[in-house]
Amino acid sequence: MSAPSLATYITKRPWLKRWMMPLANWYADAAGYRKLGLRADDLIPEESDTVLLALKRLPPKEAYDRVFRLRRAFQCSLAHQLLPKDQQTKPEDDYAYLSPIIEEIEAESKERDDLEAMIVSKRKKAADAH
Amino acid sequence: MISRATLTRQGQRALQCHKKPCISRCFASAASGSFNYETGDAAGVKVASRDLPGPTTHLAVVAKAGTRYQPLPGFSEALEKFTFKNTWRRSALRITRETELLGGQYTSYHSRENLIVGAKFLRDDLPYFAELMGEVISQTKYTAHELHEEVIPMMSLSRKAMLGHPDLFAINSAHAVAFHRGLGNPLYPSSSTPMTKYLDEERLQTYSRVAYSKPNIAIVANGADHQELMKWVREFFTEVENSPPSNLPSPGKEATKYYGGEERIAHDSGNAMVIAFPGSGSNTGGAYKPESQVLAALLGGQSHIKWSPGFSLLSKATAAYPQAHVQTDHHTYSDAGLMTVSMSGDANQIRDASKEVVKALKSVAAGNVSKEEVKKAIAAAKFEALESGQNISTGIELTGAGIIQSGKPFQIDELGKSIEGVTEDQVKKAAKSLLEGKATVSAVGDLYVLPFAEDLGLNV
Repeated sequence: MSAPSLATYITKRPWLKRWMMPLANWYADAAGYRKLGLRADDLIPEESDTVLLALKRLPPKEAYDRVFRLRRAFQCSLAHQLLPKDQQTKPEDDYAYLSPIIEEIEAESKERDDLEAMIVSKRKKAADAH
Repeated sequence: MISRATLTRQGQRALQCHKKPCISRCFASAASGSFNYETGDAAGVKVASRDLPGPTTHLAVVAKAGTRYQPLPGFSEALEKFTFKNTWRRSALRITRETELLGGQYTSYHSRENLIVGAKFLRDDLPYFAELMGEVISQTKYTAHELHEEVIPMMSLSRKAMLGHPDLFAINSAHAVAFHRGLGNPLYPSSSTPMTKYLDEERLQTYSRVAYSKPNIAIVANGADHQELMKWVREFFTEVENSPPSNLPSPGKEATKYYGGEERIAHDSGNAMVIAFPGSGSNTGGAYKPESQVLAALLGGQSHIKWSPGFSLLSKATAAYPQAHVQTDHHTYSDAGLMTVSMSGDANQIRDASKEVVKALKSVAAGNVSKEEVKKAIAAAKFEALESGQNISTGIELTGAGIIQSGKPFQIDELGKSIEGVTEDQVKKAAKSLLEGKATVSAVGDLYVLPFAEDLGLNV
């Protein structure tokens, strides 16, 4: 599931974004997942129907790479080691490959809920005729 | 006692009631002139409509994208299953819910030559559905997840349904034997077709640009005002490709050739046998032979009257085999046709009935058929042709295909006249030429019992 965040609020304001970006980059790097060769989207908890469905919808190559990254990270974690510098995730590789699909699925279910909760009223023209 | 005054009043009312059907009949006969479609061209899209009086409209896009024209196996069906799915403007769910709220229904289906995307709705909603049709054919997203989650599972279900019907199997096999490729492509992929090898969302999207390009589609409406329809089509079909992209293949163009032969398929859950001969093409195309439609009606086999075996040649000849269901059909396509005698039921009875069928055909070819029977067959063929033209759902496909292929809509009046003009000699000659040429024989089921074409005395 996508967590609540201030990201949209900040990216809407260029001056704030300019101010926050170095801080964000420092934080992402300090979080340490890149040193295990992971991407930010690999950290999204899998235990929900939405994410499971999103994982099913991943293109085969992305799904394969994800499993590879996770296994490598487990291995590193067990061995109490970090990956060599050249195998660590570069900031430009750390893009959102899963969250757009999750957002799409969330939008779908929101639309379904909205349509389910809709109150139907008769059309003006048809109502006048009767 | 009934007073005289009441009686007269009743009588008058009865008379009025009696008058009503007369009025409506007069109305219908006056309207029968307008059974013919009005045609037009709205910004490159061919439009045919007839303004049948009534509160509902049946609108359809007929695309030249049936199995005959598909570039790879299963594409026609996949395209059919992809209609009314997510588009760039709204989701599949929204399309469904909005249609439900307007009280409409949408359907899509395909035949060997055409793919029909249609909707039925209240007359006032024409703009909404015209927009929806334009959107469905040009804006569908063709996403990978819909292909894997919805389209392919539906296709494997239709595959399974097909597996349970030996008669459908036999008809498909007869087409394959008779026409090889093109019209011979199976209507639904059978279980052994390697489907996943070919189906892929990008290829489907590319094919959709060919299938739904302006020269390949026609819009047919029943119960809509022609001018209004033209206006909405001009407004909502702007994003349709003007011509099929020239770098993409568009197969199925070559003229259909009849081959003939025999195919036998073992099947566990039923028996079917199809004996087929080349038939007549559509009357909007070149290969039109009305006599073969009359011959199909003459052979018949299935009764149109309840509780009676019928009086057609085959129903008389096979009356002794009630466990075998015999039926003659005439499959009409744009440039070819196939006359099929299909039998299904008990294997032993099919074996015996099939011999009677060939015997009956031979006796027609030898001229042992009375004038009266030919007359009856002409009436039956004429009724069938006119009825299928008048029937809204079959008429839509015939009309659409007619204007795509030759610019002429399906004119039922002409069709009636040409069938009426068939003579007894023409029918006999047609039967003779069928027996001289190669036949198509397909047997599905218990192959130990079902006969070979050789046993029946047909040359394949």
